[in-house]
Amino acid sequence: MIAIGLAALLAVAPQQPAAGATHVLLVTGLSGEPRFATAFHAAAASIYDAAKSRWIASDSSLVFLAEDPAKDPARITGRATREALAAALLKLGTRSAPGDVVLIVLIGHGSGQGADSRFNLPGPDATAADFATWLIPLAGRTVALVNASSGSGDFVALLSAKDRIVVTATKSAMERNEITFFEHFAKAITSEAGDADRDGRVTLLEAFGFARREVAKGYQTKNLLATEHAILDDDGDGKGTAEPGATGDGALARTVAFGVAALPSDPRVTALVTERRALEAQVDALRRRKSSMDSTAYERELERLLVEIATKSAAIRAVTGPKP
Amino acid sequence: MKRARTLGLFALTAGIVACAQAQQDTARPPSLVSLGEALVLRGKLTEADSVFRLAVTRAVPERRSALAARAELASRRGNAAEAARLAGSIADEFERDGARWSAADLVAAGRAYVVLGRDDAQSLRAALRAFDAAVSADSNLIEPRIRLGDLFLDKYNAPDARASYREALRLEPKNPRALLGMAEVLSFEGSPGTTAAVRASLAANPALAPAHALLARQHLDAEQYDSAAIAAGRALAADSSSLEAWAMLGATAWLRDDSTAFARARAGAASVNPRPAEFYADIAEAVSRHRRYAESERFGREAVALDSASSRALGVLGINELRLGKIDDGRAHLTRAFERDPFHVWYKNTLDLLDELQKFRTVSTRRFQIVAPAAEVDLLAAYLGPLLEEAYDSLAARYEYQPTTPIRIELYRRHADFSVRTVGLAGLGALGVSFGTVLVMDAPSARDPGSFNWGSTAWHELAHTFTLGLSAHRVPRWFSEGLSVLEERRARPGWGADPAPEFLAAFKAGGLLPVSRLNDGFVRPSHPAELGFSYYQASLLCEMIEARWGRPALVKMLQAYRDGQDTPGVFASVLQTTPNALAEQFSTWFRQRFATTLASIAPWTGNGPATGAFASTLAEAHSLLEQKRAAEAKAAFERAEAMFPDYAGPDAPSLGLARLARDRGDKAAAVAALARHTALDESAFSANALEASLREELGDVKGAAAALERILWIAPYDPALHARLADLADRLDDRARALRERRAVVRLAPSDLLEARYQLARALARAGDPAAARREILQVLEAAPGFEKAQGLLLELRKQPQGGMP
Repeated sequence: MIAIGLAALLAVAPQQPAAGATHVLLVTGLSGEPRFATAFHAAAASIYDAAKSRWIASDSSLVFLAEDPAKDPARITGRATREALAAALLKLGTRSAPGDVVLIVLIGHGSGQGADSRFNLPGPDATAADFATWLIPLAGRTVALVNASSGSGDFVALLSAKDRIVVTATKSAMERNEITFFEHFAKAITSEAGDADRDGRVTLLEAFGFARREVAKGYQTKNLLATEHAILDDDGDGKGTAEPGATGDGALARTVAFGVAALPSDPRVTALVTERRALEAQVDALRRRKSSMDSTAYERELERLLVEIATKSAAIRAVTGPKP
Repeated sequence: MKRARTLGLFALTAGIVACAQAQQDTARPPSLVSLGEALVLRGKLTEADSVFRLAVTRAVPERRSALAARAELASRRGNAAEAARLAGSIADEFERDGARWSAADLVAAGRAYVVLGRDDAQSLRAALRAFDAAVSADSNLIEPRIRLGDLFLDKYNAPDARASYREALRLEPKNPRALLGMAEVLSFEGSPGTTAAVRASLAANPALAPAHALLARQHLDAEQYDSAAIAAGRALAADSSSLEAWAMLGATAWLRDDSTAFARARAGAASVNPRPAEFYADIAEAVSRHRRYAESERFGREAVALDSASSRALGVLGINELRLGKIDDGRAHLTRAFERDPFHVWYKNTLDLLDELQKFRTVSTRRFQIVAPAAEVDLLAAYLGPLLEEAYDSLAARYEYQPTTPIRIELYRRHADFSVRTVGLAGLGALGVSFGTVLVMDAPSARDPGSFNWGSTAWHELAHTFTLGLSAHRVPRWFSEGLSVLEERRARPGWGADPAPEFLAAFKAGGLLPVSRLNDGFVRPSHPAELGFSYYQASLLCEMIEARWGRPALVKMLQAYRDGQDTPGVFASVLQTTPNALAEQFSTWFRQRFATTLASIAPWTGNGPATGAFASTLAEAHSLLEQKRAAEAKAAFERAEAMFPDYAGPDAPSLGLARLARDRGDKAAAVAALARHTALDESAFSANALEASLREELGDVKGAAAALERILWIAPYDPALHARLADLADRLDDRARALRERRAVVRLAPSDLLEARYQLARALARAGDPAAARREILQVLEAAPGFEKAQGLLLELRKQPQGGMP
């Protein structure tokens, strides 16, 4: 298969995405303990690697600020201070264009509440109010801000806006215990496990759902009461949702995906891919009608479409060879 | 003799009363109340009431105490209306001007509220407040502290009871009632030392009837019926109105099938209270501790029939109905009990648990109902169902008996819930309990992986179902537990208890209990290790009996118990021996069985780990291992293993030898050493995992699968483990097992659920169920139309609509 990378392809399944480049800002904050430093860095580094190798983000569109840049100079671009964060966002505002996606992932500890909710950094912390200011130059871009830190819930109300997806690891500033969301989110967005529909790309909605489920499972397995409940807001109403879907909260996150799509060079394949996508769109439409359909008719039509899709895939593979 | 003595006491009492009346003008009223209390302690309730009445009439300074005592007496004799009237009069007065009352009067108010609390739970709060106020008013007064302890204990609140009694003992270290209270707390908690604590109380007051009654209960629980009857008799000699003592006497008689003595006890109770619901409730509790749950339910029902307002009667009935699997009836009675007594911890905990139980789901097999949290019942039932069916067949053949079915088994993912289901409180140390045809146990999720084997636990509890059923629930505890552990060992290699070095060292020191007292090791162990020792010792005793007399002897023994024989009788009729002779035979057999090991273990001092050649050799081996002196360490481990080949502790020689073999690259030797260990230790999670990996590396797919299969009985919640076992099963072409494992992976909702469901569809197809495979793969593709592997499988399945996949 010939994979021609779009620079950090922003792919979108049946819903049409805003096509454009993707820019990534990763920040690991104050760790407090070596074990946190290790865990924060591992999660951020995995996203960094995926962005660089699989999303094909250019160096100038990929910024990684960390507590200790010496820990991994090959990846880390600077120290995670309040000033550096402000400068990085300003730079991304300059480099990006309307229609682009800007993914901001904050991994660390949080404190405070309301407008004074903080992401803890070496030196002065960054508050939710700071981010509200720093994000102004990014108007027109689709901004996805993932605050994967403890006590981050109040960021939603402060930063909610049109064309903006805000994910927090907790539902409020009061959930301040150690969290696990960031690890699962990093795994989701960088691996096939998060790709719920197996289309080769992970939407932000898929990544959020995966991480949320895995967090819940982790607490359940240990027979512990869950002390973190992630939420997502992307309808601009300032209220996060624990279980976002296709409408309301989740509708925008569903259209923002990360991954490399193969751009076939063979016109036969191009045609087959186009036909397959059309069939996939029909499946999506059929699923939406499911509740109003007779179950037998639904299953029959579903199987027909799926067999057609499978047949197209087989035809594509016959031309391109099996996936590596 | 007994009659004459009673008359003498009565004459004495009458004289005291007359004397007290004569003293009424001499302004020494306190003696009236003291006299009344003394008469109460001797069971002279009528005379005591006369004295208290006199004190009230004369308006002596302690008249409120006298009034409270009269209310208590009326309650004790079953005259609830009179009790409420008398107690209500104190409460009314207290609510008018109680703020100015003396500490003694505050105690009287508290006592009155306790009486009122029988019908009005809120009065118990007032009682607590009154006792607390009495403590505040006079911090040196011991009475309110003891009353507080009694009240807490009555509501199953042992920690607060203990604190109250401790305060009382701080004021008066030899107060017999406070000492008794502490003994009750220990008994309630099942802690060692209860008997010693009761004896301390009796040393302070040899005529304290409740202490004798508690001693009777202790003996009864240990199935020491003669001693129980003697202790109950002493209680009644001190206080012929002690309903608890009559109940202990009645329970003893009933458990011995002595209907005449039982009728006598019942008449004695009725002479105190014509409707003695408490007497029946006490007996219900006593016989339930002998695992006679059906009879306990009947006694509970009699108690309710006598007093339908008694929360205790309703509670004991409800609890036993739950033990018999009558969940709806049990809930209804417990709800009524809780309405009347909302401070009772057992009722509250159990009702909370029943709410939780409504979220559970049941999976039925041919003869079992497996009840577990909905999220894991399918996973657990996939393994437990076949195991239980196998166990039933195996045990039915061995015991020539088939218990009625269905048998219900409940699994709890929180140990505290299991504990509440069993004893009403969190903190029970056991893993499982058998109520007959209702089994209750920890789910594997209730404990850390490697801490227990849930398969052997279920087998153990089911074995109780057979031994309880075959003996009509008359099998003594030691025999039932011994057989259950023995059956574990027969079920799978490594299942069942192992000999600890301290156990063997205790034998060598003569520290194991003789068979005639083996029940004590279960009911009132004298030291923390004795319970574990007793389980293993009982299993060895059963093993020896089977070896010497054959399996049918075990069955005949159970039948003899069923027919009402006691242990000496059973030994005589079935084994043609006596307990002492059997103990000697056991000792000889034991010395032969563990001859090699006993030679390398020193007699146990009762504290700390066992010492001797084995311990020192093992320590030396580990030291050499740490020093990386591999050859010498290997030799030391081999010597240690030869000394104690059954040892399966975490520092076992076999594990050291496995590590050394692995270090030198000798996988075959490592596997052999690990196999020796996993054949002994039923919870060897890490050793089994390592054995599986090494066997796989050596190409021993079947052996690797067997090791993983063992792990499933230790920790079944890792989807990766199931996926690995499924892969091995595929390689062995064991399609049924592969399918079971793929289903397990899906049930565990792994991170990559789509992949798991795809694999399940493949396994379904390979197992010859293409229709199910097709349904599964369509559901996968419905969620992920672009999933190419699944697409490929769909097309394959369409090509082979009937036959499935090769």
